[in-house]
Amino acid sequence: MTHEIDAILIDDAMLSLDELARSCQVTREWVIERVQCGLLLNEESIHADPATWIFDSHCFIRVKRIIAVEKDFECNPELAGLVTDLIEEIEFLRTRLLAAQLNKD
Amino acid sequence: MEFKDYYKTLGVPRDATAEDIKKAFRRLARKYHPDVSKETDAEQRMKEINEANAVLSDPEKRAAYDQLGQGRGFQAGSDFQPPPGWDAGFEFSGQGFNGAQAADFSDFFSELFGRQTGSGTRHAHHRMRGEDHHAKIMLDLEDTYQGTSRSLTLRMPKLDSQGRTLLTEHTLNVRIPKGVHAGQVIRLAGQGGPGMAGEAAGDLFLEVQFNPHTRYRIEKKDIHAALPIAPWEAALGATVKIPVPDGWVEVRIPENSQSGRKLRLKGRGIPATPPGDLYLILEVVLPPATTQKAREFYQTMAQELAFNPRQHLGV
Repeated sequence: MTHEIDAILIDDAMLSLDELARSCQVTREWVIERVQCGLLLNEESIHADPATWIFDSHCFIRVKRIIAVEKDFECNPELAGLVTDLIEEIEFLRTRLLAAQLNKD
Repeated sequence: MEFKDYYKTLGVPRDATAEDIKKAFRRLARKYHPDVSKETDAEQRMKEINEANAVLSDPEKRAAYDQLGQGRGFQAGSDFQPPPGWDAGFEFSGQGFNGAQAADFSDFFSELFGRQTGSGTRHAHHRMRGEDHHAKIMLDLEDTYQGTSRSLTLRMPKLDSQGRTLLTEHTLNVRIPKGVHAGQVIRLAGQGGPGMAGEAAGDLFLEVQFNPHTRYRIEKKDIHAALPIAPWEAALGATVKIPVPDGWVEVRIPENSQSGRKLRLKGRGIPATPPGDLYLILEVVLPPATTQKAREFYQTMAQELAFNPRQHLGV
């Protein structure tokens, strides 16, 4: 029997810039550029020291989506960000629809 | 092991140009994007499309794959073992394929390209932390209320003594934190790819998703459920006992409630910090008029109650 492993919730511990970049196999500069484009974090973060940035689960999943869209369609970060925004909106609306039990079919 | 016809997967002829392959991949990547597509098998199809593209968009891998199939009459799905020395004369750069992605690819791909002199041997003598790996974990709603342990089996790339990448099944017993909800990511330290030359292993990141539930709909930390009630409970008010994911609660139905009315049980949703809420949508269920007595009750109501449910329609 394997021993039990404790899982840490990212939203409790958060990820640093280096951890996020390493985990998603992109460079720090790649992440910094997307923050500066307004695709990650918030407006205030753009002017803050990147060493102080922290990333939650939502950012982590968002980065993975942006990477996939940029790679699959060879598009620029802004377009990948727009597609990711739309994917998140679809996800939100589908969840809403399910919660409202409107799509029983 | 089944032979994979990558040309068939991308829907291109064997003499397709690199541009044709790129176009076909993009068209299918859009159609089967797992976050958007309504196809039931979109996620699996996307993995197959990515795998086919990883081979056909890489000139070295494509050439080796083409040579493998030449004159041997392999068909998609037919039983397959790579002939000895099938890849003689080819070198694989490992571009477009890394250990973390390997887990999503088939045994066929792993057999052909996972054993090549990829990232493993190239860095075997350098000190390097292991790669982080990413996967999804499907939980039941009840798991997050109890914070239970779950056993999960993942296909993990491991390096053998020669530094070659091999896919092995790896079973983990994971303690799921209480209060976790869909869209959150949990991290298992040291459960990713192995480190090089004594460096630490990477971590495993699991994106949480919930299995569909027969009674509940989940929206972030909030959960929603229908609460069937009798007409007299709706009209006169009542206290009813109902099951919730972590036990039972007594709910007070306000008098003069209608179907669709939403009751909020604060803090009875997913037990995160702060906890979500449980929403109950009232559903007035009429007793069927299948007996004489029931019919008489309805007739009495019709006569005694001056009630027109279509008054707002002007009729």
